[in-house]
Amino acid sequence: MMIKSHPGESLLYQYASGDLSAAMTLVVGTHVDMCKTCRQTVCEIEQKLCEENLDALVGVASTTMSKSQCDQMLEAIFASSACNKQAHQPNEILSLEGRRFTLPRTLAHNSHRIGEWSKLVGKLWRAPLTLDNGNQTNLIYMAPGAKVPEHTHKGQEATLVIDGVFNDEQSEYRDGDFILLDPSRTHTPETQDEDCLTLATLDAPLHFTSGISRLLNPFSQLFFR
Amino acid sequence: MQMVSGRTSKRGSMTTTQTDAADKAAELLSKIAENRSRAAFSELFRLFAPKLQSYATRQFGNEQTAMDLVQETMTNVWHKAHLFKPDRGSPSTWIFTIARNIRFDLLRKNKKRKDDISADELWPILSEQNDSLDDGYALDHDVLMQEISFYYAKLPDAQRVVIEKIYIEGKSQQEVSDALGVPLGTIKSRTRLALKKLKELIVDDD
Repeated sequence: MMIKSHPGESLLYQYASGDLSAAMTLVVGTHVDMCKTCRQTVCEIEQKLCEENLDALVGVASTTMSKSQCDQMLEAIFASSACNKQAHQPNEILSLEGRRFTLPRTLAHNSHRIGEWSKLVGKLWRAPLTLDNGNQTNLIYMAPGAKVPEHTHKGQEATLVIDGVFNDEQSEYRDGDFILLDPSRTHTPETQDEDCLTLATLDAPLHFTSGISRLLNPFSQLFFR
Repeated sequence: MQMVSGRTSKRGSMTTTQTDAADKAAELLSKIAENRSRAAFSELFRLFAPKLQSYATRQFGNEQTAMDLVQETMTNVWHKAHLFKPDRGSPSTWIFTIARNIRFDLLRKNKKRKDDISADELWPILSEQNDSLDDGYALDHDVLMQEISFYYAKLPDAQRVVIEKIYIEGKSQQEVSDALGVPLGTIKSRTRLALKKLKELIVDDD
C-alpha cells in the first residue's frame, strides 16, 4: 500500500539531526519505520550530516586531545562494562477492544510507556504515552463511526495512522500517513466503516470550535492531554 | 538550521580515498566485534576521537561536555561493534548516529528525570533485538537483473569484481570474501556502495 502523506524533508532533516522534541521524534520515527521512502531519505541525510560534521574535520576544539588524554580515555573505555540498559522488552502487540494491532519498531520499543486506556466522548479511546515532562502524546483509537468534534489547534499537531483509516474534510488517511496540522486549520476527523489507531502529539490543547462541543473547551485538557 | 538542498538521491558518490577509509574502519570494527581487539579499537579511536571532539565542541561550546560525548560515543562503539551492519551504511555514518543520540541525551541531562525517554529508545540503532526492517538500499530484483549489465562496467574495479561475483556468478558474500582474501565487512560495504552507485547511474540515465 502506498503511503501518500509524508513529513517534509526539513522535518526529516531535524529528525536525523536530533533537533526535534522527544514526542515529535517518536512520531516521525514511527512513520520512518513504516515508510521505505522516508527511511532511505533519512539514511541519505544521516550520511550527509556525517560528511559535514564528522568527515570534513574542521578544528574548532581549542585544544585537541593530548596523547595522555587519549590513553586515559582508552583505559576508561576498556575498563567500562557493557551496560545493557534495555530493561524493557519491546512488545509489538497491542490489544484493545477485541482488536490486535502490530506496533512499528520505534513504538514497540516504547510500549512500556503506554498508559491506561480511557474512554472519551463518542467512540474514542485514548492512552497517554509518558515520554518526558510536559509532553502531550497519545495513542487514539477511533472505533468505526467515531467522530472527533470540529476543532483547531493552539499549537502544531502531528498525527500518524498506525492501522486503519480515518478522514477529515480534506482527505482520507491510511496506514503510515503522517499529517502535520498548524493552528490555522480546523478539522473534524472521523471514521466510517473501519476503525483507526493513531499516534498523535500536540504542543497545546485542542480548541473545539463548533456548537455544543465548545462546552468541551474548559475540559479539553482532560481529553487530549 | 541548515536545509537540505536539492534531490537527496543525487548526493555524492564517494571518492576512492573515502572508500578506502570506510573499508579500513569497517575492517577495524569487525576485528573489534570478533576478537575484542584492543589494538584495532585504539586505531579506530585515533581516527574518530578528534572528529567527534570537533563536532561536539561545535555543538556544546564546552570542552568538558565535548569530551563526555567523545567518551560515551566511543564506549558504545567498543561494546556494540557487533551491531554495525556494513551493508546498511558506512562506519562513520554509524558512529555519527551514535554521537547524535549521545548529544540528544546530553542536551537534556539537566532537566531530565529518571523515567524520561532516552535517545536509544527513540532511535533503537543499538538494540540487540533483531528488528525486521527491510533494507532500504535493496533494489528491485528484476530491474537489477535487466539494467545491471549495462551499468556495472562503469563501476570502480574493486566494486565491479564484487558485483560480478555476487550477481553474475551467484556467490555469497562470504565466498567472495574467501576468494578475494578480503574481509567480509569490506565485501559488504563494497556491495552497498556499488548498489548505490548503480542506482545513481540508473536514475541519472532516466
